[in-house]
Order: sequence, then C-alpha cells, then structure tokens
Amino acid sequence: MAVRHRMSRRPSPEAASPPAVRRKLGVVLIDPLPVVRAGLSLLVDERPDMEILAEAGDGLDGVDALARVRRSRVVVLVGLGLEGEHDASWLIRTVRERFPSHAILAMGANADPTMVSRALFVGADGYVDKNVDPGDFLGAIIKVADREMVLQGPVATAVGQIADSIDLRRDLDVRLTGREREVLAVAAEGLTARQIAMRLGVRERTVTTHLGRIYGKLGVGNRLSAIRMAARSGMVSVGSAE
Amino acid sequence: MSISPARVLVVGGHPVILGVVRLACDALPNVQIVAEAGDGPAAVAAATSLMPELAVIDLDLPGTDGVDVLRSLRDQGFRGLVVVVSERADGATVLGAMRLGVDAYLIKPDGLRRIGDAIRRVLDGERVIDPTLEQAAVLELGRFARQARESSEIDASLTSREREILELLAEGLTMQQIGRRLDISPRTVETHVANLYRKLAVRSRVQAVSRAASLGLIELR
Repeated sequence: MAVRHRMSRRPSPEAASPPAVRRKLGVVLIDPLPVVRAGLSLLVDERPDMEILAEAGDGLDGVDALARVRRSRVVVLVGLGLEGEHDASWLIRTVRERFPSHAILAMGANADPTMVSRALFVGADGYVDKNVDPGDFLGAIIKVADREMVLQGPVATAVGQIADSIDLRRDLDVRLTGREREVLAVAAEGLTARQIAMRLGVRERTVTTHLGRIYGKLGVGNRLSAIRMAARSGMVSVGSAE
Repeated sequence: MSISPARVLVVGGHPVILGVVRLACDALPNVQIVAEAGDGPAAVAAATSLMPELAVIDLDLPGTDGVDVLRSLRDQGFRGLVVVVSERADGATVLGAMRLGVDAYLIKPDGLRRIGDAIRRVLDGERVIDPTLEQAAVLELGRFARQARESSEIDASLTSREREILELLAEGLTMQQIGRRLDISPRTVETHVANLYRKLAVRSRVQAVSRAASLGLIELR
C-alpha cells in the first residue's frame, strides 16, 4: 500500500520562514479509509500551526512512515477501523513502544465506551470521534500534542463506563495467564473446543481444562458469560470497530 | 414528565442543605420528597422500601463518604436518577461518582443555589455536569488508563514463582517460611525477592506489598 510523504526538509525560499513555522505540529495520519484521510488532510493543511507529515492506510505502512519522521512534536492519528493482525491496538502499542515521544490520538466513528477503553488501555493519549465539529477535531489534536488527555465525541458522556471497562480489563489481564487469554480470545470467535484446540495446536482436553480454570477465575458458569465479560472489558472484540 | 409526582430521596445531614433542597423541591411542581436519610444504611433502607425515582446525595456527609453511600445504593439495586452535591471537585471523586452513575454533579455553594433547576432538568432527561468537572474526570481517566496499563505490564513481567512469593509476602511469611513452603533454598528466595522488588521498583517488603495492592496485583485481606 503506497505511503505518501509530504514532509519538506527545507522551507521553500518564498516562505520567508517566520519562527512559528518551525514549531508546526506534525501529524501522521493512519486510517484505512481514503476519503477520511483526504478530508482530514484538507482540514489540517488549512491551519498554519499544523501539517500532515505522512499518511498510511494500514498499520505496517504507518510504522514505516513514522520511522522516517524526524520531528519532535508529533501527533499520530490512529483510526480504530484498522483491522487484522496489525490493527489499531497493535499500532497503538507499537507506537508507544518504538516512538514514546509521540502523542497518540485514537479516532473512531461513533465508537462505544468499550472500544474507547481499549484504545486508552493499550496506550492512546486520547480519543476523538469523527462525529464532531471539524473545529473541535482539530482542537483535540492540539490538546493531545501537549500530552493532555482528550475525550471528544458522543462517548464523552460515558466517562464512567469507559473507566469501568478499563478496570475490568486490568482485572482480567492480571487474573488470567497469557495462555488463558489466548484461549478466551479464540473462544470469542465462536469456535468449538475442538476448533480452538486445532487453532492453538493443542489437545481438546487441554482447551477444556483451560476453559474450566477461566470460568473459575472469572466467577462465571459458562463460556458465553466468560466471552461477554471479555467483550465488556475490550479484551476481545465481537463486532467491527466502526 | 409523568403525571404522578417524582419521588425524591434526600441523603444528607446538614440542616442548611436539607433546607435548601426542601425549598427547591417545594417550588417544583410534581416533585415530592418521600424520605430524608443521614447515612448509608438509612439511605439504603429508604430506597429499598420507597423506591424513589431520584436521589439527592450530599457527598460530604459527616463520618461517611457520600460516594460509598451511592455505591451501597447501586449495589442494593437502586437504578434511579442521582443528583450529587459536594465541595469536592477533584477528578478522582467526580470520576468515582460517574462510575456509579450520576445525572448531575453540583459544587457547593453555587451548585446548591441551582439545585431546583438541576432536579427539573435531570427529570427531563438531561445530564447536568459542568464542563470543568467533565474535564477533571477525563484527566483522571487518562491517569487511570495509564495505571491500569502499567499494572498489566508489570504483572506480565512477573514469573509465576515471583507471583507466588509476592502472595506469600503479602500473607506476612518470613523469607525462611517462604523457602520452606515452596521447598526452595533461602538463597533462591532472596534472588526471587530481589527480582520482584526490581520489577515493582520498590526497596522493601512493605513497599512491595503496598505497590502490588495498589496495582491490583494482589488483594490485601
């Protein structure tokens, strides 16, 4: 997937570089939808205090683009619609790990509290919904650049629910072993114990043992309850992100 | 608004506050105070037997944290609307209240003056929370998320042996007792404990247990 770079290393001669230009906020835009990227680029380019440094349509290209960015004040816009192995969660975690000085702003379209909680839990510095006034959207980018937490959009009234979801996620992460989490994640796809066993390359008996332990730790009596709890925490997603 | 009056439970002890709330409810058509409670147990009893539509709760009850009262009400099944008054405007308190479900959060003393209006609007389906309070809660949410992630990461870095030892430290066992319980040498226990302290970024058993508890890795009994 092509990555377009719009980063200029030297200001053009006719720009007479006032000092403010050097303090322009750099934005790296990673969203699967071309129209969204086009629209956001237009918005950002209209402002004198920020500019698009690069854009990408998937997680891997996004990380490649970031590796080439040489700017200290950067906001990475991560679309929660990114799916697959290098989805939004993967991207947010990776950016946090490899580019710790960048601010990460997750963006979704009418995302629910659980989706937002997942983004925040894995390391986003804020969330902004595409369903907001463009001015507010740009304001969110500025705010998060100063590492100030931002939560903008219809989901902002559900702060309490988001906190609950994060708390549940932490609880599950701590209570369950890595293996148990794997089993639960695959179980959430609706597979039978045998299918789970095949996917993970273990015996069916092992899977049922793990599931039994999971139910015990979560205080539930069946698989559906366990999956629902995992879904509420954002540990697994049982739906699309947008 | 429904034809029958909205029934209100007031949880508060301060006579001035009770007076203000009574006046405000009197001035509103179709709003009736059905009970006043001064503490958690009384509030829960009133809510259970009278099933009010709305509860006004003073978070600054003497001797009790109003947030705990709200928690008890929710735990006992109260699903009604909640209007909170408090002098506390810090993110942690506001977020804590929001997690329990509040429809209005008013700061004393100005908020109290507007309580009649807030009750009316909440009964109309509105949410009455000042943007500065929302912002404080959002900042706290950011901190909360960061801490939760940290907990998860630290937990992931612990080996199962280290986790076992952490539990035993929390139970108050000495290094020797831990060694005997796990059938490993004192030297091995020391090594594990040193690694554990390093991963928790602490320097003593007390700090380790305290930090682990605040991270949610262990429960203190």
